[in-house]
Amino acid sequence: MRVTVDGVAVEVEPDTTILTAIRAAGANVPTLCFDARQDPFGACRVCLVGVAGVRGPLPACTTPCRDGMEIDTADETSRRVATAIVELVLSELPVAPAPHTELAQVARSLGVGTPRWPGATHATDHDERHPYLAFQHELCISCGRCVRACDEVQGAFALTATGRGFGANIAAGLDGGFRDSTCVSCGACADSCPTDAITEITLLRI
Amino acid sequence: MTDERFEANVSTTCGYCGVGCRLEAHVSGGRIASISPALDGPANVGHTCLKGRFAHQFSRSRERLTAPLIREGGGFRLATWEEAVGRIVSELQRVKTEHGPDAIAGLASSRATNEDCYAMSRFMRATIGTNNIDNCSRVCHSPTSFALRRSLGLSGATGSFSDIDAADAAIVIGANPTEGHPVVGARIKQATLRGLRLVTIDPRRIELADYGVLHLSPRPGTNAAVMLGLCHVVARDGLTDRGFIDARTEGFETLEELLVAYSPAAVEEITGVPAADIEAAAHIYGEAANASIMWGLGVTEHKYGSEVAQLICNLALMTGKLCRAGSALLPLRGQNNVQGSSDMGALPDTYTAYRPVGDEEVARSFEAAWGVPLSREKGLTIPQMFDAAVDGRLKAMWIFGEDVAQTDPNTTHVIHALESLEFLVCQDIFETETTKFADVILPASAFLEKSGTFINAERRFQLVAPALDPPGSAKTDFEIITSISRAMGHDMGWASPAETMDEIAALTPEYAGVSHERIGRSGLQWPVAPDGTDSPILYEREFRLPGGRARFAALPYKVPGDSVDGEFPLILITGRRLQHYNAGTMTRRTANLELLDRDWLEIHPDDAARLWIETGDRISVRSRVGRIETEARVTDRIEPGHVFTAFHFPEVRTNLLIGASADVNTACPEYKVVAVDVRPVSEAAAHTPALAARA
Repeated sequence: MRVTVDGVAVEVEPDTTILTAIRAAGANVPTLCFDARQDPFGACRVCLVGVAGVRGPLPACTTPCRDGMEIDTADETSRRVATAIVELVLSELPVAPAPHTELAQVARSLGVGTPRWPGATHATDHDERHPYLAFQHELCISCGRCVRACDEVQGAFALTATGRGFGANIAAGLDGGFRDSTCVSCGACADSCPTDAITEITLLRI
Repeated sequence: MTDERFEANVSTTCGYCGVGCRLEAHVSGGRIASISPALDGPANVGHTCLKGRFAHQFSRSRERLTAPLIREGGGFRLATWEEAVGRIVSELQRVKTEHGPDAIAGLASSRATNEDCYAMSRFMRATIGTNNIDNCSRVCHSPTSFALRRSLGLSGATGSFSDIDAADAAIVIGANPTEGHPVVGARIKQATLRGLRLVTIDPRRIELADYGVLHLSPRPGTNAAVMLGLCHVVARDGLTDRGFIDARTEGFETLEELLVAYSPAAVEEITGVPAADIEAAAHIYGEAANASIMWGLGVTEHKYGSEVAQLICNLALMTGKLCRAGSALLPLRGQNNVQGSSDMGALPDTYTAYRPVGDEEVARSFEAAWGVPLSREKGLTIPQMFDAAVDGRLKAMWIFGEDVAQTDPNTTHVIHALESLEFLVCQDIFETETTKFADVILPASAFLEKSGTFINAERRFQLVAPALDPPGSAKTDFEIITSISRAMGHDMGWASPAETMDEIAALTPEYAGVSHERIGRSGLQWPVAPDGTDSPILYEREFRLPGGRARFAALPYKVPGDSVDGEFPLILITGRRLQHYNAGTMTRRTANLELLDRDWLEIHPDDAARLWIETGDRISVRSRVGRIETEARVTDRIEPGHVFTAFHFPEVRTNLLIGASADVNTACPEYKVVAVDVRPVSEAAAHTPALAARA
């Protein structure tokens, strides 16, 4: 079937997501909870786009294409909502995310600087008990990528989402750290994390 | 994506197991800062394991060899390259003059590149003038190579790891992929979660058994009976593909006659596997539209390992489960380039692509290219080299990247052989158990420091690129071998490993279209046509045997080389742990040691209770040829009557226990069936019996 992305026509297979169609058309839309190695999750709402004839923005990563769909990556409502979401996400962090992280790159691409909203930020909480992997819990944005990497890529099922709302975070096993869990130290979580909430200890030292 | 934290990002191929993960090495301050998986890696698709990703600190370990060492008195002294090379040249020339070229032997390294291995085999064949060249596939998958060539024609997997995703069912026999080949293990696990019907066959209840639909625990050494039983049920219940058998194979009738004797009940008698499980496993495999079989050293490292691998081929052939996506035979090769080192002809009986040294036409093509006469006589295999050294027929060896004193069986005999040599050169990145016997030690480079290619278990050529310089005055293996050859009067004439690959391609029809440029990021699976077309699936039109037909092998079950008796009542199996790799030379020099700092012996609760052994107890393990001490761990993942340990730690020296029994066709040692006696030992006062009666 055929869809258009910002006016450019592109042929796609049935069940293709809007995000895949956008990339096939050579266009782009920022994503935060998306990782091509995992099933689409649709949690972060940063990949919102406009579709002709649809009232509100749609998440590109989880919405399948329909024949004849007209996709607008520059849709004003979508960009405004996505920008606000990223700004809210950043407002919970005690420090700005490091420039190389996906979160920092998405913020740059959306023009989000220092968040306008002061308020509670997460308390610093580091765990470096594993020889290679470190938690920096205050940087967790609950995108679920680490949990899905552990489940869908490695199959160790060592990580869990914990808490609710502002208190949402991640834990290895019963929150006893990586070594006291079913973790096999593959590092897929650190590889996927868009904020360095899980990262490599050696990278903290350079 | 650029990342301000790193000075350089280098795409390369992992130097650990045979999966062949493509990696991105990130460099900062002359060290590896981090390694991440390449998203476009064909074998790993954006994933890797704790060895590939984290275990790279060994590359800058203080213990790295950084200058040549020459034996002097009881120890070694530092030497210049000039002196070391001079010594090697004069000693090798002396031995050659006094005793002939066949008194010299070389071992190529399955951890080194194709180009390194090819250079090493050219050195032995052309510079020295002998076919005494072998590599460590001798002690792991040589039986697989033998069987695949016998049954199907080519020495390689028939498909790719992507077949795991395309299969409806799979059998994993004699392999523990979640520890030995973690990325493939994860892939199998994910496939089972999506519905792959997995049958695991292993004396131990491996992790994947928990994800499969059926697990069979045969007695060690009885794989042949299991495979014959599966084939019996497939034939009896009409699960065969008659069209495929008639059109593409020969010898089925003879096999059919043999299979009659292997009813599930008869097989239960031999293997201990319930007859109903044999029936069920045969139906799971036989009824699947597409099914693949994966195996490892639990199949090969037996007295009849090469026969079992042929029996595995039988099962795929009689059900027609070959030659298409999802239906493949996938031997899980051990080391990163164990496929390549053999493909490149680092074997005593074959040139590149397994063409016999006695083949006149092939030998002439190499003579024309190298400008020297070449021997038509087969050289010595690794075990034969050690026998010849003890007998005094072999006087000098050059061992490159292999720790035979830790990894080879019958360690006492190996040491005797190394001590008997007049001259031993070791080329390695660390001092090892083997280098203790060297006369000259050459500091070489790790995979992160060299360029060239590896071939993974899918027959895929992949590029290796240097992210670091070799430490100190260490050199690349390519540079070492070519410069010593030049000093001995045979200039190989290559400016770079890419030129070596061009020569290999020009001399090998099966790799005709291979070049570093063409390999690129996606790799090439051999055979590769001159125009660069590669072969993800083998034998789509015909098998590579005379007449184009695959051959059934009618081979009966035979008893293994060792068995229990009153003195040695338990069977020892050896294998791998996730955190470490082979002899541990690399992984023991990384923080993987923090994750796993010791080895242990797994023993069933019934045996442990009978022997008064508890988890953590110091125990003695004695076989007919040796004795070691280790720690016990009681687990019901192993069957009563069997015990298991790994061989990653030199302080345990597991291979002292392994005798001389070996595969009848390939001399691959029987590491997997060793009768042992296990008992507690204690340095402190002996056991103080508790006063309470044991329940």
